[in-house]
Amino acid sequence: MAATCVEFATGGFSFENCRRNAILEEKGLKPPKVYKTGTTIVGIVFSDGIILGADTRATEDTIVADKNCSKIHYLAPNIYCCGAGTAADTEKTTQIISSQLELHRLNTDRTVRVCTANRLLKQMLFRYQGHIGAALVLGGVDSTGPHLYSIWPHGSTDVLPYVTMGSGSLAAMSVFESRYTPGISREDGMKLVRDAIAAGIFNDLGSGSNIDLCVITKDKVDYLRPYDEANKKGVRQGKYAYKKGTSCVLTETVRKVEFVVESTQVKVEAMDTV
Amino acid sequence: MSSIGTGYDLSASQFSPDGRVFQVEYAQKAVENSGTAIAIRGKDGVVFGVEKLVTSKLYEKGANKRIFNVDRHVGMAVAGLLADARQVVEVARDEASSYRSSYGNPIPLKYLAERVSMYMHAHTLYSMARPFGSSVMIGTYDVDGPQLFLLEPSGISYGYFGCAIGKAQQNGKTEIEKIKMKDMSIRDLVKEVAKIIYLVHDEVKDKTFELELSWVGEQTEGRHELVPPEVFSDAEKYAKEAMEESDGSDDDEL
Amino acid sequence: MAVEFDGGVVIAADSRTSAGTYIPNRVTDKLTKVTDNIYCCRSGSSADTQAIADIVNYHINFHRMEMGEDPLVKTAAKVFQDLCYNYRDSLSAGIICAGWDRKLGGQVYSIPLGGMCIRQPVTIGGSGSTYLYGHVDATFKENMTKEECLKFCKDAVSLAIMRDGSSGGVIRMAAISEDGVEKHLILHEDITKFYRE
Repeated sequence: MAATCVEFATGGFSFENCRRNAILEEKGLKPPKVYKTGTTIVGIVFSDGIILGADTRATEDTIVADKNCSKIHYLAPNIYCCGAGTAADTEKTTQIISSQLELHRLNTDRTVRVCTANRLLKQMLFRYQGHIGAALVLGGVDSTGPHLYSIWPHGSTDVLPYVTMGSGSLAAMSVFESRYTPGISREDGMKLVRDAIAAGIFNDLGSGSNIDLCVITKDKVDYLRPYDEANKKGVRQGKYAYKKGTSCVLTETVRKVEFVVESTQVKVEAMDTV
Repeated sequence: MSSIGTGYDLSASQFSPDGRVFQVEYAQKAVENSGTAIAIRGKDGVVFGVEKLVTSKLYEKGANKRIFNVDRHVGMAVAGLLADARQVVEVARDEASSYRSSYGNPIPLKYLAERVSMYMHAHTLYSMARPFGSSVMIGTYDVDGPQLFLLEPSGISYGYFGCAIGKAQQNGKTEIEKIKMKDMSIRDLVKEVAKIIYLVHDEVKDKTFELELSWVGEQTEGRHELVPPEVFSDAEKYAKEAMEESDGSDDDEL
Repeated sequence: MAVEFDGGVVIAADSRTSAGTYIPNRVTDKLTKVTDNIYCCRSGSSADTQAIADIVNYHINFHRMEMGEDPLVKTAAKVFQDLCYNYRDSLSAGIICAGWDRKLGGQVYSIPLGGMCIRQPVTIGGSGSTYLYGHVDATFKENMTKEECLKFCKDAVSLAIMRDGSSGGVIRMAAISEDGVEKHLILHEDITKFYRE
């Protein structure tokens, strides 16, 4: 039997065109613009858990592609992850790792640990040598307590009590550096994270719109979307609709339109079904 | 042997109803047909001695040696089918050199013994393989002191203070047990080893033999090498004198 | 940097990680554990060195299980070298492997960019090391005590922090010997001051 075997796309990452693209670029072809999220994402460790925060603007060059996108991704019931960089990469990477973590949870019958998520992510990103443009803030609570990591696209990771990532990270870090204290309370922590994201939204062109928060504690996750709208759209002060009769009618003419009747019957025709 | 003709001895991958693997036992028999080899672990090293039977006058002197260098610090003496033993030597050498290249250190003897015995054991598991018809003894000397292991065709390996394999396995062991090897230097042990080899040699059944002696210890700076000619001749002289003495005493008794 | 002393080693590093002009981490721990008695100091790409350290950690611990005893420092250094040499074209990693073992005591091995591996009584690496060669050559003495080594390391890293833009933050030090690891942290305000403007 001679039949063509169709290969179905399996999804995931493919780098088969890298060499071709490099050659095309060398010959002068401009590469297409990447859909990249200028972003502010942050995370802190507070007295009994983790608070993650993110803005909701997705940009495509100078255009705001999505005014309310979601940048805090689910990894496991007790672990969430903020993503900055190439939106498709952060989305796909977190989905792949989330799936691996779920299988790991089923295999071990235990709550997965944050260090496991960190290892899986850093090993995947390192394997792709930075070609996966995902900069992540990973946070979660497991049997050993709250843990916060920042993960860079090349696969290096840092463990810190407060981290920021994305184009707005400098603005957000300045808020943390001046106001973070170890063992900060839940309320103060949420306020601090809100202010850090707001700093990104107001001072970084790539960040904007709303503030999403995710508060992870030992036995509860509060995913607050939106937690706050940093710039509420203003309400128009005056009414700008013209009143009826603002323009006066100068003349009025009524004319008859001539027309010819061709046919008044509609014939039923059989449908063309060959 | 009770097993002959029962059909349970055709493959190394089959047990007999009483839980034995006859192919492995036959391999052990092959070792018992070979010239004796002994090794003794003293306080400052290990000495190997081999009774290499010369079955033809036409052989060159020193042909078919049965003591090998596995690595600079590891020696191996073998008994049984020489061709099989040579393959074991090859495997041991590969293991030693691959360990050196991976970790930059000489291979620990315990680990080498484990690896080689695993290889020998693998040959007792499959119907398409034949167990090795040889036993080997490996020894070394390092910061942890002298070490000696015996690997058998079954894949078993044990650490020893002294061991004997081949024709005169039993006699050899009895002789070794008489020695207080734990307090002796290899300089003295090499004489005892030569003596035992001469003692257990059966002049009636096997006409001629060549004595092989090697050592690894403090005075060789942890290197395994054949004993120097003067030490060899001293040891051989000591062995022959001891033989004459015992012959004399035998005559007295008669 | 790392220095051998009689019965152990002292290792030390600053704590700055930089990405261009930004410092993503000002309290990095560049002294990374391989086993209880072997550590490495990482310099170069943090992604590369973290990955190498993780792989070596895996290999060495596997090796420990297989051998049933603590691996030697030389063995760990050799595994680092194998990775650094085989992947020398795609890695930028300068590693110092140091520790204590029962065979050779305190040892320092330097594995610079091309994947060479040499034992040295004292070695320095990373961007700040260029500012230190003269100081190290002038100050290093053989057979220093542990305390002298700690002082020597603290002064050297302090000098590098003051002169090298890519070095900064706190000084992390550790003394590794038969008795285990003794860690030291020197805050930025406590680093050695050599002169005042």
